[in-house]
Amino acid sequence: MTLQTVAAADPFIPRRARSEVARKAFFYAVIVLVAAIFFVPFIYTLTTSFKTLPDAANVTFIPHPWTSSAWHTIWTQYDFKTYIKNSVFLALVVTVCNIFLGGLGGYAFARLKFPGRELLFLLVLGTLMIPDQLRLIPVFVMLTNWHLIGNFSGYILINLVTATNLFFMRQYFLTIPKDFEEAAKLDGAGYFKTFWRVMLPLALPAISALVILQFQGTWNDFFWPLILFGQGNPAHYTIQLGLAELDFQYTVLWPQICAGSILAILPILAIFLAFQRYFISGVVSAGVKG
Amino acid sequence: MLGVRLREAGWGYGFVAVPIAVFGLFFVYPFGYALYISFFHWGILGKQAGGAGTFNYDKVVHDPVFHTALKNIAEYTLGVVPLTMALGLSLALVINQKIRGRNFFRSAFYFPSIASSVAITTIALYLFNANGLFNHIIGSKTPWFQNAPTVMWAIVGLNSWTSAGTAMLYYLAALQSIPTDVYEAAAVDNTGAWRTFWRITFPLLRPAHFFVLVIFGIGALKLFDQAFVVSNGLGGPNYSTYTPVLYIYREAFTTFDFGVAAAAGVLLFALIFVLTLAQRLTVGREEAA
Repeated sequence: MTLQTVAAADPFIPRRARSEVARKAFFYAVIVLVAAIFFVPFIYTLTTSFKTLPDAANVTFIPHPWTSSAWHTIWTQYDFKTYIKNSVFLALVVTVCNIFLGGLGGYAFARLKFPGRELLFLLVLGTLMIPDQLRLIPVFVMLTNWHLIGNFSGYILINLVTATNLFFMRQYFLTIPKDFEEAAKLDGAGYFKTFWRVMLPLALPAISALVILQFQGTWNDFFWPLILFGQGNPAHYTIQLGLAELDFQYTVLWPQICAGSILAILPILAIFLAFQRYFISGVVSAGVKG
Repeated sequence: MLGVRLREAGWGYGFVAVPIAVFGLFFVYPFGYALYISFFHWGILGKQAGGAGTFNYDKVVHDPVFHTALKNIAEYTLGVVPLTMALGLSLALVINQKIRGRNFFRSAFYFPSIASSVAITTIALYLFNANGLFNHIIGSKTPWFQNAPTVMWAIVGLNSWTSAGTAMLYYLAALQSIPTDVYEAAAVDNTGAWRTFWRITFPLLRPAHFFVLVIFGIGALKLFDQAFVVSNGLGGPNYSTYTPVLYIYREAFTTFDFGVAAAAGVLLFALIFVLTLAQRLTVGREEAA
């Protein structure tokens, strides 16, 4: 279409330029098509969530008639309200703990001198090599012995701080000039006050990236919630567990299943659209450095 | 002076105390504990009668289900890693051009990477069911995710589509670090775009290829969420979605044989450790060179 309009607008385009336009139009057509493969599934899922069950069998993009009953059912009858609440709670608590403890530890490893610092830091990095699948059994046994299975404290406890976040904060603190701390020291600020009032606010860009990646990580986490809450009371289910359960129990209740999937993605989509820059730079720096 | 240093050290230990406790308690200690458990008969109630031995390893190594899991994961890894790399690199090359709506396309390609694995898999179950959108387009009735011969390849397709955006970001970072004078030289020599890509760009991306290969290779070996969701946690049909991690999960929480699950965990760790070590060593050498 672009090609035709351009050609019609100016019939005097020389042959060479015309082929250039054709090449460009072809190129854009291809990438728009590819981009469509990336977002059409989400749009199709979204529209299905507004369909009735019989209508969901039709391969159409417009619901006929429109209904929000699937959303209503999952929110009240299937208790997605509770799952969302649980996921928001866990993601917020885990993220805040990671900012504070990752920041505190990262600051100490970046700036304070104490015997054994390098050795301890090596230990922190070493934990990156231990996969969850190996920790699974011992952590489950330990939490069972402490009666922390099937409640949120166990999950929070094992996710208080990750080596990735601590490392990420340390790297950022290393880039901050020492002048700020010297000034704080001259003002008589202690170590904690220097960290809390001076260094942490200066690390805001790093914190933003950490918040986005950690919130997303906890929100999307399926493995540990499955292990810790999966066998117990659905009152503790996170959104991902609730959605998996919906898949298993109501295999072809497509409008409800589609509504559940959209709900499981929506908060992350919102954060992504608002903070794309941090998302993308965070992924690259965490990947390349970590 | 000594007082100041002591004070600083005291605060330093104080600041790292909680993180170190968390890492010690939930990473380092479990590492040793997992090794320990793997040498005993261990059930839901703890260590059982009978001494230590390598029987759990014997059971895993000779278990046909574990063999199937290894075969499945090998196929999956060999499929998903090259596909993700090729897709990621192609997308990165597109985004790296001067195109209109560059940020829009970058976000569109990257978006599936941030959505949860369960939600993405659920959407795929919907689109690829016997009467779904995909079959409607190609005119087939194959239940891609419920069919033993196709399900692993369906997951390969799904996951390379999902993670292509992440691979794209890594490649994009690498492409942007290639100095432009290399391309200017090629332009002076009147080298064609295709030839420039294969002779110059592709070889210069070697560190990125290696990085992406290892990151996604390790990720592929740990496949779990998608296999769990498509098979209702059972690994079926006919063991076609059994993966090593699903094997660990099922040994632990359906058979309640923690000893066997721990032994399988140790074996998987050993495999991943070798790969990670290879990456660290090679990347370290590249940086030094």
